[in-house]
Amino acid sequence: MEESVKPPTQSRKVLIIEDEYFISELYVRALEKAGYQVVLAVDGKNGLDKALSNSFDIILLDIMVPTITGTEILERLRSNTTQIKGKVIIITNLEQGEETKEKIEQQADGYIIKAEITPKQLVSFLDNIK
Amino acid sequence: MDHIKKLKVQVFGQIAFGLIAVGIISFGLWYILFEQIELDSITALVLAFLGIIGFALLLGELLTRAVLEPMNALTTAILHVAPNHENTPSSPPNLEAVKIGRELVSSMALQIYQLASHESASNAETESRRESIIQAVNVVNHLPLPLFVLNSERNITNASESGIAYVGLESGKLFGQPLEDAIHLEFPSENTLGVWIDECQKSKVTSTKIWERVRITLPDQAMKQCDISAHYNRDNPSGTEFIITFFDRTDKYNQDDESLGFVALAVHELRTPVTMLRGYIEVLEDELADSIDDEMKDFMHKMNVAAGQLTIFVNNILNVARIEQNQLMMHLTETDWPTTLNAVLDDMEIRAKTSGITIERDIADTIPPVGIDNISIYEVIANLIDNAIKYSKGSKNIIVSSQVGDNDLIETTIQDFGIGMPANVTANLFEKFYRNHRTRGKAAGTGLGLYLTKSIISAHGGQVWVNSKEGKGSTFGFSVVPYSQLSEEQRKGDGKGIIRQSHGWIKNHSMYRR
Repeated sequence: MEESVKPPTQSRKVLIIEDEYFISELYVRALEKAGYQVVLAVDGKNGLDKALSNSFDIILLDIMVPTITGTEILERLRSNTTQIKGKVIIITNLEQGEETKEKIEQQADGYIIKAEITPKQLVSFLDNIK
Repeated sequence: MDHIKKLKVQVFGQIAFGLIAVGIISFGLWYILFEQIELDSITALVLAFLGIIGFALLLGELLTRAVLEPMNALTTAILHVAPNHENTPSSPPNLEAVKIGRELVSSMALQIYQLASHESASNAETESRRESIIQAVNVVNHLPLPLFVLNSERNITNASESGIAYVGLESGKLFGQPLEDAIHLEFPSENTLGVWIDECQKSKVTSTKIWERVRITLPDQAMKQCDISAHYNRDNPSGTEFIITFFDRTDKYNQDDESLGFVALAVHELRTPVTMLRGYIEVLEDELADSIDDEMKDFMHKMNVAAGQLTIFVNNILNVARIEQNQLMMHLTETDWPTTLNAVLDDMEIRAKTSGITIERDIADTIPPVGIDNISIYEVIANLIDNAIKYSKGSKNIIVSSQVGDNDLIETTIQDFGIGMPANVTANLFEKFYRNHRTRGKAAGTGLGLYLTKSIISAHGGQVWVNSKEGKGSTFGFSVVPYSQLSEEQRKGDGKGIIRQSHGWIKNHSMYRR
């Protein structure tokens, strides 16, 4: 629905933590085309390790990932010892329980329902994160 | 049932007799006027008479059925709701016909009650008249229908035996109380019994109303669901003003709710594959644009449209399930209305084109910013246009207009020139699972789209309406509120300073502020 916006001048680094291969393929492709540097992690443990390197501008985090869940990762990334500078955006199709919802609202920088967004819309969404 | 049979024979006899008489008279007239049959062709004459009689009998039978349908339906309905009745038929009553029956039985009961209280107040003239009224009240009290009488103070003054049994309350907790205090009723829309009673007492002399899918919560009992029929008559000195009749439909409605829950669960699983499908189609459409011919481009377009349709379907089901669980959240943001409307129309135009339909736009350019939840409103417009396309049947135009209307609300209408609907259909159109039986076979649908539309628009503080004429087409309209009219709480959304929009939210994000 939104008009796509021009990619930012400097190439930003994005980490995608997503186990669904089709989804991640689409997101990686769309973001790379738009000039982002993209790194993919297909499970929670791997994703957390990469995220802690603290070199990403944006982290797209799926809730339902193997080994460590998205909510746990979010909590770790937001704990006092590991404060990271990148924006953490939750990507999910799940209906969240009240408790999880509240946690996500407090700790994440954004929330995207995958079913309601196309890869192009994802790009324009990220383009506008300052 | 015997009474009904007897009545049927009587009605049939009279109708058939009338038809035979009319037939013979017209035959005689025709004979005299045209003299087309020679006198000696007795056989032809006899055949013609037989024909007329046969025709009259057939037509008589059909007419009798039509005339007695509400009566039959009422009997079935009463037997259906009667507790432990030996003759309870296994088939559920015909809902359409029962509606007439419901009104009949309620208004009859109201009249009897009013008559009774009026007579007892004025010392009935004759003993036999008194007797018969007492008998009538007795009959009503013993009807196998939960039935409540309210006075002008809205308190319960009488209840049928099965009414008391149905709610399982002692009469002390029932009589002298307002119905809605004694029994917790949950109505499917904001037009509750209380609202109707207010309206009646304010501005009406008589009124009738039926609610469907009313939930009843009673202490120590499983939730019940029923239809409620209510009658009001101000013109009586005794104080008996309202009669409220319950038609228990717990089995049927619980089953619907369970199936909806199951469907929502199943549909949820569709979300991920649909997301992928749309993603890949988007990639293909984009990247093949320069290398494929127009026909292939058109196919690609149609594929995209179909995937979009699937998404709307999935979202409809999930949203209705959310409404059921009180989980559908609206997050109203300040939005430019023409931009939003045009964006949806751009998407829907592709679908309209595949059915050979053009969408004409008539959008005023002086519309102030509105307060809406983008994705919900997208669904509302998409649903209404989808319906317009479905029921256009051969006509080539849909007109979408939008302007500022009464109270500065922003009104948008979607007009088609298709099959239209009679008034009795439009009355129930926005109810859950409602599908017109006449169009059921002609167009696909879940019966949830308009219910959802109404729920979403109500949550926005707007209204939905429909004007329709059979064979001429329908106009669906809805209104939304200008952003300037929203309350402080509505503007804040969840009060955490989070801006939400169509596909998610992001903190401290200014993109969608216009």
